[in-house]
Amino acid sequence: MLTNCSSVKQLSIFKQEVPRQKLDLQKPTPLQLEQIKWIIITSENANEVFKKMEEQGLDPVLFGLTDNDYQLIAKNFAQIRNQLKITNDLLDKYKEYYEPKEKNND
Amino acid sequence: MFGGIKLFFIGIIISAVIGAGAYVMKLQRDNTILKENAIKLESAVAEQKNLIENQKKDFEEILTANKKMNELVNNLKKDLDDLDKRFNKGERDIGKLAIERTGAIERVINKGSENAKRCIEIASGSPLTEEEKNATKKSEINPECPSLANPAYIAY
Repeated sequence: MLTNCSSVKQLSIFKQEVPRQKLDLQKPTPLQLEQIKWIIITSENANEVFKKMEEQGLDPVLFGLTDNDYQLIAKNFAQIRNQLKITNDLLDKYKEYYEPKEKNND
Repeated sequence: MFGGIKLFFIGIIISAVIGAGAYVMKLQRDNTILKENAIKLESAVAEQKNLIENQKKDFEEILTANKKMNELVNNLKKDLDDLDKRFNKGERDIGKLAIERTGAIERVINKGSENAKRCIEIASGSPLTEEEKNATKKSEINPECPSLANPAYIAY
């Protein structure tokens, strides 16, 4: 008797999907660096280099590096460049993954 | 006496008929609800399948992205190792070379600096030029960062 009186419950499925707003930040403008000129100065050409600098209207002063330090600064810049590239690509990958250009309709 | 009994039985029969009718109607209602539930469940199953498919796609994307990032890191490491080799190849001493051939080394250093500058620009997002994209020979590439600047170049 009791089972006959009990009715079947209607199944309810709740869905509420609210997509997160896109961050949509603009990528930074690529760098445009200035070209610098390296001058190699040795004990033999020092006078000639300074003379040329004076002729060109430049202050006869140089900020120097040893050959070893030159190698280190080159490697340091290469490491900075690599890190910049990796960070930039990571940002691109995150953007592609979380904010794809063609959003799936599901 | 008999009339009372007759009425009593007629009452029971009518009650039974009404009860049976109500029960049948309840069964019909339950049946309708069950059918609706079945449709909803089918729809839910389809949605779950869709969700699983999307998850699979996401995992594939994650794997691809990881693979590409690993490739990039390895290529950049190779560029860095190549730079180190260029400075110290064999018995090469860049300091001695600069003393012996000051002008030539100065030109090499300045060209290298120009190339390195371009590498940083590319790393920061600057688009590749057509020349950079199409470079396949050693004489055409940017030796400071071929993996960044010259995607068509294969080391030989």
